[in-house]
Amino acid sequence: MFITDIRKEFYEVVANQRVALLVASDIDALCACKILQALFHCDQVQYTLVPVTGWQDLSTAFLEHKEQFKYFVLINCGANVDLLEMLQPDDDSVFFICDTHRPVDVVNVYNDTQIKLLIKQDDDLGVPSYDDIFRDEEEEGDDSGNESDEGSEPSGKRRRFDEGAIERRIDRQRAKREWEARRREILFEYEQYEYHGTAASMMFFELAWVLTKDTKDMLWWAVIGLTDQWVHDKITRMKYITDIATMQRHVSRHNHRNEDEENSLSIDCMRISFEYDLRLSLYQHWSLYESICNSCYTSCNFKLWTLNGQKKLQEFLADMGLPLKQVRQKFNSMDMSIKENLRDVIAESSMKYGMKDIRIQTFGVHFGFKNRFLASDMVHATTALLESTEKDESDGDNFIKALDSLSRSNLECLHAGIDQAKKKLMAIQQTVASCICTNLILSQGPFLYCYLMEGTPDVKLFSKPMALALLSKYLLKAFVHSTRNKRCKLLPLIMAAPKDVEKGTVIVVGIPPESETSDKKNFFGRAFEKAAESTSSRTLHDHFDTSIIELKTEDRSKFLDALITLLS
Amino acid sequence: MDPSEVEFLAEKEIVKIIPNFSLDKIYLIGGDLGPFNPGLQVDVPVWLALNLKQRQKCRIVPPEWMDVDKLEEMRDLERREDAFTPVPSPYYMELTKLLLNYASDNIPKADEIRTLVKDIWDTRIAKLRLSADSFISQMEAHAKLDNLTLMEINTIRSFLLDSLNCMYKLRSNLQPGSSKGQLTDY
Repeated sequence: MFITDIRKEFYEVVANQRVALLVASDIDALCACKILQALFHCDQVQYTLVPVTGWQDLSTAFLEHKEQFKYFVLINCGANVDLLEMLQPDDDSVFFICDTHRPVDVVNVYNDTQIKLLIKQDDDLGVPSYDDIFRDEEEEGDDSGNESDEGSEPSGKRRRFDEGAIERRIDRQRAKREWEARRREILFEYEQYEYHGTAASMMFFELAWVLTKDTKDMLWWAVIGLTDQWVHDKITRMKYITDIATMQRHVSRHNHRNEDEENSLSIDCMRISFEYDLRLSLYQHWSLYESICNSCYTSCNFKLWTLNGQKKLQEFLADMGLPLKQVRQKFNSMDMSIKENLRDVIAESSMKYGMKDIRIQTFGVHFGFKNRFLASDMVHATTALLESTEKDESDGDNFIKALDSLSRSNLECLHAGIDQAKKKLMAIQQTVASCICTNLILSQGPFLYCYLMEGTPDVKLFSKPMALALLSKYLLKAFVHSTRNKRCKLLPLIMAAPKDVEKGTVIVVGIPPESETSDKKNFFGRAFEKAAESTSSRTLHDHFDTSIIELKTEDRSKFLDALITLLS
Repeated sequence: MDPSEVEFLAEKEIVKIIPNFSLDKIYLIGGDLGPFNPGLQVDVPVWLALNLKQRQKCRIVPPEWMDVDKLEEMRDLERREDAFTPVPSPYYMELTKLLLNYASDNIPKADEIRTLVKDIWDTRIAKLRLSADSFISQMEAHAKLDNLTLMEINTIRSFLLDSLNCMYKLRSNLQPGSSKGQLTDY
């Protein structure tokens, strides 16, 4: 059931209990976890934090902890599957689920006792009404009861009554079949597309605000969670702008608190400001040239994998009057005169080159004399740390490192993350360039398909789901810009990369087609399930996003064939 | 003594806070505290104030002496005088550090206050070093210093005592007619 008063029905219930926090591995979940941890620290609530990477992890973690804990808080996992069926908990376990995955499973919505959803109901959820899906079983019992009563009637009238009874029974059965067919249709429509709702970190920030315990740190984490949804293309642009407006109200409220002409705040205090900043990833921590070359938006619009594209880039820089020497330097060492109007100059020039949206609304933070970060910088850095493929680092270690890098006091961690993010972006750019130039993207009819061979440089980076999803989005954008085939521009993309060489598995990701007004709804989850069933391929649907699966390398071709037949 | 021990002792000082919760009077070994009512000032020791501040349950009111004009006057007075001037609080250095680290958003002009307190500290330590230097070189027997705080004494304590001990050993070995290892009293 949906929770209406988050303070009374969630926080006050868990405040005096021991709680288990099961947190998924994405940045929004990490930020939500940080906010909740800060609230728990204020009120000295005992909790156990368990990072989970997939459904199997979730089940194992639940089995380990179900003896000791009654209350479980699930962050960014668990809403889109029948949780009670999967975990088989005892009757007194209560699950609080704050998840951005939609559609929310109908059993979770209509269960009144054990599942509490921390989800706002004005997110357009489209949950089918109760009567359409669930039917009371008592009606069946009445039918048989009536029949046995009627059977004891005197035999003379039996034939007439029997005919009436048989007709009524046939009617009832027909009605039941019709109802079931309609139910299947409704459920199919409801569950066929997968998409994302409001960020979990924004939900928990609202909880903090209701408790009046919200600080600037928590506000910043909520902003990072929202930006993560934008960077990884999980929400539409309209939704992002609406949510930014909500956050902007909170930011102005915090900024007006104690900034005064006479009593200015210490320089070490955190200042969050609204920025209408450039869409160049990490540009303040890199050189401007590198950032333009490695950001998806500029690279795709200039087509930087072609010689023509490189020439256009040089023209662009010359048009703005930026000397090459300056532009290749670290951003912080650029001349002040250039840095001052940089955003406006770039926005103006990019209009001439067909890039109308080079600026995007976002937030930046500023504390101490040296430390300025944009929200997207933090997202890239933390993702790189979370999915780092260094040896000897388990998933748990990466999770803790990424969680630490979100605190203000762990700046070396954050800077290490920024360096790793730079390497990742460069690897993505090179892979995109090589895929387009060697025509590795094949049109299979209803979708496009690309497979990264084992020897590709940096292919280890792409064995992780978020990195591979980011690569596929960039690749699709680049493909749309480079192809002349109008039909291919509207196709979705399936991308596969080797995941584990010893076990012989590949990771497969499906993303919806690229368009300006796409609603980011992904149908590959159900498609993958059906294709796997029909070919009995050995697949693992472990990830919380149903459009990301693991598959045995040998079964790749028959799986693809099944998909092609299914989707055409 | 360790500087952290001095800081620990400093945390017993009383500071004013404005809580946002309510609680009846609590009876601790060191004394009674409270009652706490939202929006009303109450006196508590610094250790409790910092804990409540970190849990976002109060606002800290800066002590009266933590004000830019007053500190500027004190700093100028300190620079003019040769002897040590009276201090705003016997633990001024530790309180400044603690309050400005954890509650700088409740203290106006925090950066300037930090600079001013550091100036006062530097002047006093310079005077202390001069005085210790003259004490050792002129071999005086006793000296009297007013208005020193525990933290300042602590910085010079080990150095001064060790150097005096060394001087004593050297002097006793230089005495004419004394054999090695024999000590003479002055």
